[in-house]
Amino acid sequence: MPPLTVSLAFIIFAAGAVAGGLGIALGLGGGILLVPFLTLGLGFPLKSAAAISLTTVIATSSAVAAARAGNQLMNLRLGMLLEVATVAGGLLGGITAQMVAESTLQRIFGFVAIVVAVTMLGRVNRRNVICDANADPGRLGGRFYDAESGCVVTYQVRRLPLALFASFVAGNLSSLLGIGGGVIKVPILNAWCGVPLRAAAATSALMIGVTATGGAIIYYGRGNLQALFAAPAVLGVQLGSWVALHAAEHASVKWLKVLMAAVLIAVAGLMFTRSAGS
Amino acid sequence: MNPAERDAGHLELIIGRVLRLGTATSSTCFAAGLSLMILGRGGALARVLLPAGLIILLATPATRVLVSVVEYVRERDWLFVALTLTVLLALAASVWAAFL
Repeated sequence: MPPLTVSLAFIIFAAGAVAGGLGIALGLGGGILLVPFLTLGLGFPLKSAAAISLTTVIATSSAVAAARAGNQLMNLRLGMLLEVATVAGGLLGGITAQMVAESTLQRIFGFVAIVVAVTMLGRVNRRNVICDANADPGRLGGRFYDAESGCVVTYQVRRLPLALFASFVAGNLSSLLGIGGGVIKVPILNAWCGVPLRAAAATSALMIGVTATGGAIIYYGRGNLQALFAAPAVLGVQLGSWVALHAAEHASVKWLKVLMAAVLIAVAGLMFTRSAGS
Repeated sequence: MNPAERDAGHLELIIGRVLRLGTATSSTCFAAGLSLMILGRGGALARVLLPAGLIILLATPATRVLVSVVEYVRERDWLFVALTLTVLLALAASVWAAFL
């Protein structure tokens, strides 16, 4: 691990800002970008990079959920139910991360980066809503004001076992790799479980904080997480997400998505090369 | 709006408050600690502020779950009391896995 100097703190802060900003603009967590930067760029071991990234995931989750509270987009009941699965997956992932080799983690990261790149380019957006404020949302569904439909919409949750399974996998990869995991469960909740994209994203944003906490605690206790490195990363990610949330321009993200997909494929290539070399 | 949805709105606001307070406190500790380090005064205060910021950051989502447990008990929604307690237990298990 590199020694902490003032310039390294600034580099981590800047990397956090870029990752946080792009994360918000593209609907990805920033972790998928921050982890490879810290490990491939700055030479942190993957476990330390994942641990630092998890702290930024917690900070982003808390900030985004606090900002969204009150507008009914977050589905608390669904979130609290799926959290049981993400936290269980996270606990298992945190313990496994202590046991597997660095090269194995690099291969898994490379594979997930490719999956994320593909999902980002081919993102589906199923509406899944009934334009009727009095329709039955069922035990776990919800309703919110949808500007696109211009009315209060209702949705029901379907295929709960699939949602639980996706949450478990997302929680597991979150702890192992230092990502939020939203990028895995949001598309599944939207495509197969009946949840509108914005409600799925808001609910996932709430869940990833608790999920990442389990993993981060394990890394902290095992000496992989130093407050000195977490502090600039967290502050940077918060600045970046704040800027991106307040920049109203969302029209030009298409080319950004293609660029990001290319970066992720390159990251995957580097991770595979590293894992073969070590 | 039915009673269940009103309760959910109430819980959402409490959760929002807990998360906002936790994030603001931990970021303040981080910013103060880092500023001290950069100014070359990385003494005892900075060495307390930075880990404090980290621990508050980690405690924030856990507090959010604890608050939810209390709120669901108040609403006598026992299924969700059980679910949120399970999440809390899993977090306790990660503390155990971390330090033992």
